[in-house]
Amino acid sequence: MSDPFSTLGLPASFDLRPDEIDRAYRDLQKVLHPDRFAGRSPQERRLGFGRAVEVNQAYRIVRNELARAEALLTLRGHAVSPDRKALPALLMEMMERREALSEARAAGDLETVRAVAEEVRSERAAACTQLSELFALEPEAGSSSVADAVIRLRYLERFLDELEAIEEDAASVP
Amino acid sequence: MSLLQIHDPAASPRPIGIDLGTTNSLVAYVGAMGEPVVVRDCDGEALVPSVVHYAGDRVTVVGARARDLALEHPRDTLVSVKRFMGRGADDPETRTLGPYRFASATGPVVRFEVGEGRVVTPVEVSAEILRDLRERAEDELGRVGGAVITVPAYFDDAQRQATRDAARLAGIEVLRLLNEPTAAALAYGLEHRKNGRFLVFDLGGGTFDVTLLDLDDGVFQVRATGGDSQLGGDDFDRAIASRLLEHLGHREAPSAPPSAVRYALEAARSIKHALTDHDLVETTLDHGGQSVLLRVTRAEFDAWTAPLVARTQVACRKVLRDATCSAADVEGIILVGGATRIPSVRRAVASLFGREPLADIDPDLVVAMGASLQADILAGQGPRQDVLLLDVLPLSLGIEAMGGVVERILPRNTAIPAEAAQVFTTYAENQTGFEIHVVQGERELAADCRSLARFTLRGIPPMPAGLPRLEVRFAVDADGLLRVSASERTTGMSQDVEVKPTYGLDDAAIEQMLLDAYEHGERDVVARALSEQRIEAERVLAATDKALAEDADLLAPDERSRIDAAMAGLRTACGGDAHRRIVARIEDLDAATREFAGRRMDRAIRRALTGQSLASVETDTARAAGLDAHMPPSMREDD
Repeated sequence: MSDPFSTLGLPASFDLRPDEIDRAYRDLQKVLHPDRFAGRSPQERRLGFGRAVEVNQAYRIVRNELARAEALLTLRGHAVSPDRKALPALLMEMMERREALSEARAAGDLETVRAVAEEVRSERAAACTQLSELFALEPEAGSSSVADAVIRLRYLERFLDELEAIEEDAASVP
Repeated sequence: MSLLQIHDPAASPRPIGIDLGTTNSLVAYVGAMGEPVVVRDCDGEALVPSVVHYAGDRVTVVGARARDLALEHPRDTLVSVKRFMGRGADDPETRTLGPYRFASATGPVVRFEVGEGRVVTPVEVSAEILRDLRERAEDELGRVGGAVITVPAYFDDAQRQATRDAARLAGIEVLRLLNEPTAAALAYGLEHRKNGRFLVFDLGGGTFDVTLLDLDDGVFQVRATGGDSQLGGDDFDRAIASRLLEHLGHREAPSAPPSAVRYALEAARSIKHALTDHDLVETTLDHGGQSVLLRVTRAEFDAWTAPLVARTQVACRKVLRDATCSAADVEGIILVGGATRIPSVRRAVASLFGREPLADIDPDLVVAMGASLQADILAGQGPRQDVLLLDVLPLSLGIEAMGGVVERILPRNTAIPAEAAQVFTTYAENQTGFEIHVVQGERELAADCRSLARFTLRGIPPMPAGLPRLEVRFAVDADGLLRVSASERTTGMSQDVEVKPTYGLDDAAIEQMLLDAYEHGERDVVARALSEQRIEAERVLAATDKALAEDADLLAPDERSRIDAAMAGLRTACGGDAHRRIVARIEDLDAATREFAGRRMDRAIRRALTGQSLASVETDTARAAGLDAHMPPSMREDD
């Protein structure tokens, strides 16, 4: 499969606006979606199906900041190794957060859970801004600072998922 | 519409849209002016109760007449069968309040025992309803073409597959399984031409869907979908019915006699309907020689059903979260399904989103109307060729890994069609078989998810543990249906198996039901195969003609003559009676157009990437004109 940016006809950049990604995606699906092949030959249906799948896959990657950053690094030949360790400072920070969270959870203190989630959300936004700056500063490189920023975003997203699951559980008990 | 309609026997078959609902079903088509038309019976009634009565001598009765027989024959009359589609005999649904007798307590398929020792599956019952709807459409249209059938967005693969099989049994060609909320949005979007972010809140008789989608110049893109495939108006009825049974002296509701259960459910339904417009209802329960006067206030009803309303709210929040969107971002809420008439449901929606929901299209009709519009689009007719629905997978698909944990392969809300693969390896020395268990759902453990298929990949060459590379590939099509293939890649002798997950009824079982349904068995099946292949051949020929008309310049003269020869060969085969020959000639034409298809695809993508071509701008204008043409003047907006 070609890289997700060129599949969508977009520049390989971190700084893509959601609306321009959506636009490119919809313009392609207007041509490639299986509904467009309803009256076509089986041959064309198969081809169209494959392309529609590819565009959906590319869209999923490019539309999400973390996946987009990872794809960009891979494209530049600096994929973040799965063995790469998070910085000790980040690990420490997340561990403290996790402790605070489990205490709040045990105490049924939903206010604190919400406050932590709010904090992590704004940090997530900051991490994206930072990534955008790093990518702009080093257009060719995949220096360790970029990789570390990607790993930080990865941790924040995962933590946010857990937080939101807790918020949801709490909300589902009327 | 004139009362007397004369059918032109040569008229081309008309595509139809079917809403196969839990409580009611209906069928619609797109009329000459491009407007959706709901098929009504001679009394003007559009809704066909989704009720099938099995009388003696293999006679079946469908719809309102069947509903009338339910009270007298509670066990031979199947109501709300949709709740059992794709479910196993031990599904919790079989233990909820209902009058049925099940043929067995275990097994992969629910089987009802009806009159004279007949045993029927939910697929067969649904096929009866679909057949009735098709006949209604035929009475009005003469010839009926393929159908778009709607399913709850939250239906899993087994439920979708079961719906498709029911259509097959009813002799209906399925153009597409369309998610009900998306169908509703299609009807709304076209009627009002509003762009923006919408939430469809669809509380039907037995299922609840909530879908968040963006409308953007004819493209309907679903962002996230969620819900509960076992929550609907029926559950409100059951909540009331349990109390009514107590009043009739049945302390343990589930063990009450079937006729009392059916009576209580019907009485509950009328109480629910009455409480939509009134704060208090007085009714006399008259059953089993007892007569009890009962008063129910709306406040009581709200209290009994509050947990059900709360479940809808949880699902809404989850969808908002999945779409990373807040309630304030939603520009409109569309209400679908009869149960959204319940005042407490409406109140809860309004308070969650801080705005009044839209319900200007009849919530009972809107889904079928949307389905007919999509059928029209897929049939390549009508003025809406630029309208496109982009939908998502409702529930994550995965495989059971070591320790019973689910390894997700396609997460929920992935845009469909979609494909994904995952590589597994063996954990024992010289392991030659590998069991694959396909599941669907959001829970961590496979045991808590819906099991879709189990199969064993055999013939793995003996190798040390951890060395083989077993690739399992999932493909989900635009109907939301899954196909799984697996291969072993280390040896280069990749062995592929393709598995269509089944929910207990495999292709052979469906074939047998088809045979049983035909009076002349085999002979009819052969005749049908021939006619199906002829239709397919016509379609392929028309498609090729169209492609040649558009892009003939992409072909060298010798390529062109090869295609022309293959087309001539197929036309000749169609004149004969051998359906296999037609199949072979279709394949030949397919091969002859392979290169051509690829070049056409590249050209289309290049055009899409370099922005709109002049031609598509012209189509847009034509579409806009077509939309205005079918709107009543009062609805036309000039903004």
